[in-house]
Amino acid sequence: MSKEKLIDVNDLATYFHTEEGTVKAVDGVSFEIYPGETLGIVGESGCGKSVTSLSIMRLIESPPGKIENGEILFNGKDLTKLNQKQMRKIRGNDISMIFQEPMTSLNPVYTVGDQIMEAILIHKDVSKKEARQEAIDMLTKVGIPLPEQRVDEYPHQLSGGMRQRVMIAMSLSCDPQLLIADEPTTALDVTIQAQILELMNSLKRQFGMAIMMITHDLGVIAEVSDRVAVMYAGKVVEYADVKDLYGDPKHPYTWGLMYSIPHIEKDLERLEAIPGNVPNPLNFPEGCKFNTRCQFATDKCRVDEPELEEVEEGHYSACWHVDKLEEQKAKQGRG
Amino acid sequence: MISYIVRRLLILPIILIGVTLLVFSMIMMLGPYERLSTYIKDPAELKNVDVDVLVTKLGLNDPWYEQYGRWISGVARGDMGWSESAGSTVTQAFLSRFPATAELGLLALLPVVVGGVILGVFASVHHNDFWDHVSRVLAIIGWSVPTFVFGLIMLMIFYGTLGWFPPSRLDSWALDIVNSAGFINYTNFFIIDGLLNANFAIVGNAIRHLVAPVITISILWWAFIMRITRSSMLEILRRDYIRTARAKGVKENVVVYKHAVRNALIPVVTVAGRMVLGLLGGLVITETIFNIKGLGQFMAQAAQQLDYPAVLGGTLYFGFLLILINLCVDVSYAIIDPRIRLE
Amino acid sequence: MEWQEVVIRLFKNKISLIGLILIIFFGVIAIGAPWIAPPSDPSEPYMVPRAGWGFEPQPPSSEHIFGTAEGQYDIFYGIIWGTRTAFRIGFIIVGISSFIGILVGTLAGYYGGWFDEVVMRITDIFMAIPFLIAAIVMTTILGQGLRNVMIALITFGWMNSARLMRSQVLSIKEEEFVIAADALGAGDFRIIFKHVILNTIFPLVIEASMRMGSMVITASTLSFLGIGAPEGYADWGQMISFARNWILGGEGNAIKYWFTVVIPGGAITLFCLSWNLIGDAFRDILDPKLQ
Repeated sequence: MSKEKLIDVNDLATYFHTEEGTVKAVDGVSFEIYPGETLGIVGESGCGKSVTSLSIMRLIESPPGKIENGEILFNGKDLTKLNQKQMRKIRGNDISMIFQEPMTSLNPVYTVGDQIMEAILIHKDVSKKEARQEAIDMLTKVGIPLPEQRVDEYPHQLSGGMRQRVMIAMSLSCDPQLLIADEPTTALDVTIQAQILELMNSLKRQFGMAIMMITHDLGVIAEVSDRVAVMYAGKVVEYADVKDLYGDPKHPYTWGLMYSIPHIEKDLERLEAIPGNVPNPLNFPEGCKFNTRCQFATDKCRVDEPELEEVEEGHYSACWHVDKLEEQKAKQGRG
Repeated sequence: MISYIVRRLLILPIILIGVTLLVFSMIMMLGPYERLSTYIKDPAELKNVDVDVLVTKLGLNDPWYEQYGRWISGVARGDMGWSESAGSTVTQAFLSRFPATAELGLLALLPVVVGGVILGVFASVHHNDFWDHVSRVLAIIGWSVPTFVFGLIMLMIFYGTLGWFPPSRLDSWALDIVNSAGFINYTNFFIIDGLLNANFAIVGNAIRHLVAPVITISILWWAFIMRITRSSMLEILRRDYIRTARAKGVKENVVVYKHAVRNALIPVVTVAGRMVLGLLGGLVITETIFNIKGLGQFMAQAAQQLDYPAVLGGTLYFGFLLILINLCVDVSYAIIDPRIRLE
Repeated sequence: MEWQEVVIRLFKNKISLIGLILIIFFGVIAIGAPWIAPPSDPSEPYMVPRAGWGFEPQPPSSEHIFGTAEGQYDIFYGIIWGTRTAFRIGFIIVGISSFIGILVGTLAGYYGGWFDEVVMRITDIFMAIPFLIAAIVMTTILGQGLRNVMIALITFGWMNSARLMRSQVLSIKEEEFVIAADALGAGDFRIIFKHVILNTIFPLVIEASMRMGSMVITASTLSFLGIGAPEGYADWGQMISFARNWILGGEGNAIKYWFTVVIPGGAITLFCLSWNLIGDAFRDILDPKLQ
């Protein structure tokens, strides 16, 4: 891959300084996204995946949140060094975002048209009338029937799936290079989920943007991603091509997620895939943060924290005992 | 929007009939002889008449529903009897006193709503422990000081000692001008009439007389509206759609004033409705203390002099007024929140 | 939150602690009234003794430490015994009106349907008359006197708790444990009592605490307007009404008779403040986002 990186996150650390102590929500995360590809970020709730995306948008509430370390290079520009005014030119324009809860992510007192037009009017030099036409066009593109009528409706008049389509229309209205989708389908019915994912895939081809897909749902990742980063307790623990990751997981956490499930549509939030709980972010264990739940954990794991290392070409894992995992996989005769 | 208002209007008669029933049942707690006065339009009618004959003639011993029917048809025609304490019919007494009350009420209400909201928004955006605590303590203390105590202390300091804000509506020289032939009373709101007559001395004098009562009646609501706005704003600013707006690249002050304030106003409207209720009660005390010849003072005097027709008629008028105000509150909900408008 | 924890936090919270101390202080005064200000006629302790028949209020002196009001009523005596009056008014009005409100609201919320509709419209009707004005009218009709003031304030004071209770019941009715109890065949009354009331008690306590202050203010307002306590009765509002003729002072000194307003006014304010502080602290503890 010799292409120019669209976004290059290096050693990002975002902490929250609360009364009870410092929460290291994101602690040394690195990844990159190339133009036009989809990177999936997967992990249980509280693993820092949403904080990573909000850090890229620089929407971390401060205080208590603060980007402590690292750089976020977007087209070579470090976003952590920009002021809010420069950041606003990027938000909604070069990088846009859709959220988990379509029911609450739209402002209830403005029409959907107003809310889409707002983004267009901020970033493009067009008249109100043109912006309205663009908003209607966008609604058509995201598959909303009767867009001329819908544009003047309020969010509460639309279903959850329709609202998520509106969110997508809004986020794509300024032709972003990167779309961050934070659990875009979690709150939706299964059939609607599939429709939205399909829509995102087709819009990606049409608009040619890159997508950073954040989810706890391995099935969603399999469906849309090119590459995947698995996060656990504020760190990336495995990072690989989607096929390699699913075919041959190299981290006990990823393996545990997949091994324990009959279908990859398994929902991590609701069913416990791995024994034990996600450690308390105020009190992470020493060494490898997964050691409290890992069947391969040794004393080394409880003292030293493993770094992300390339175990196969393009396949990274942060584990001292990849070999033990391989033995186990061989024993069980499945990958 | 229109259908929403129509539906609200359709509930009105039910509430109104209920209010008349409630007031009537209070009348019925009085004996027939005491009730006689509510039916007398002029004290002259009582001369040389046997009271017992009159009670029978007016049917004051009839079953309650017959009496209610007669009373309500009188009320519907605006006939609420004769007020002994005003020396006129109740309706006349109320109409002549309405402007003073409306002037005071509106001047108390509008600045609080606008100013309290602005301060509350400001406090939420720059939220800071020190001013939070100050506004909170002020609100609690304000809530604890009885209006009549506050009003008396205002009089003691700002009239008695400093001579700045005298009671009543106008100084006597100004009253002479207002009552003279050359001065046209368009509205009986002295500030507006003064402006319309281009007599700014009257305007100034009227304002000077209004400062102390307006402060007395509204002071506690400043802190209250401000606190509600502030907490409502703080909650709204955490909502998902605020994050969405920021993610679009919307400027922070647009986020606050366009996206957040309108949503934050919804609970403020509820409190403003309650405030109006409190203000109507506060009018009775404030007008009494500052000697303003308005509806509130009239009600208090009528009560002290056991002027039943005035008290009951007054209750009905205040009931109408309150229902109208509640209608305004409902309409403001509908304007602010499309979910209500389109439900 | 468990109630034990609420109580612990209530004691830890500085604001509520001030409120509690104030209430205890007033409570001690109320209980100790016969010793703090011994009545000259024990059969009528609530009648404030007069130090003469002069009209003009007299400033604080060693004999009358808070001075005397118009008609030489001893302000100190009035304040001390007025504390009892305030507690009595507050507890009776808030207690009975809360009880009515809880009953009405629970039944309306639990049974719903047309019953709920009718009850809520009746509530609206009672709320369509401004509270103070309704109280004035009712007291006028019943006749002057504290007992009638209390009846009037109860008649027009139950609606807020009814509405609050109803909304609490409606929200909790949907919760699983109530549905479960229903399915297990627990009787209607037991369901309402055990689950719903125990789970909705705190918002009602907050509301009642805040209402304590406002009811005492309203009762004293009626006394101030001359339709509450009879003349000479130990009641704070009554004490202030004596001051009305002396607000502008005299002999070039406008605040000459300050004590006739400030002392009884201060007593009412502190009394209400203590209840409001507790109510506010309570709300804080139970719903931190309302701060």
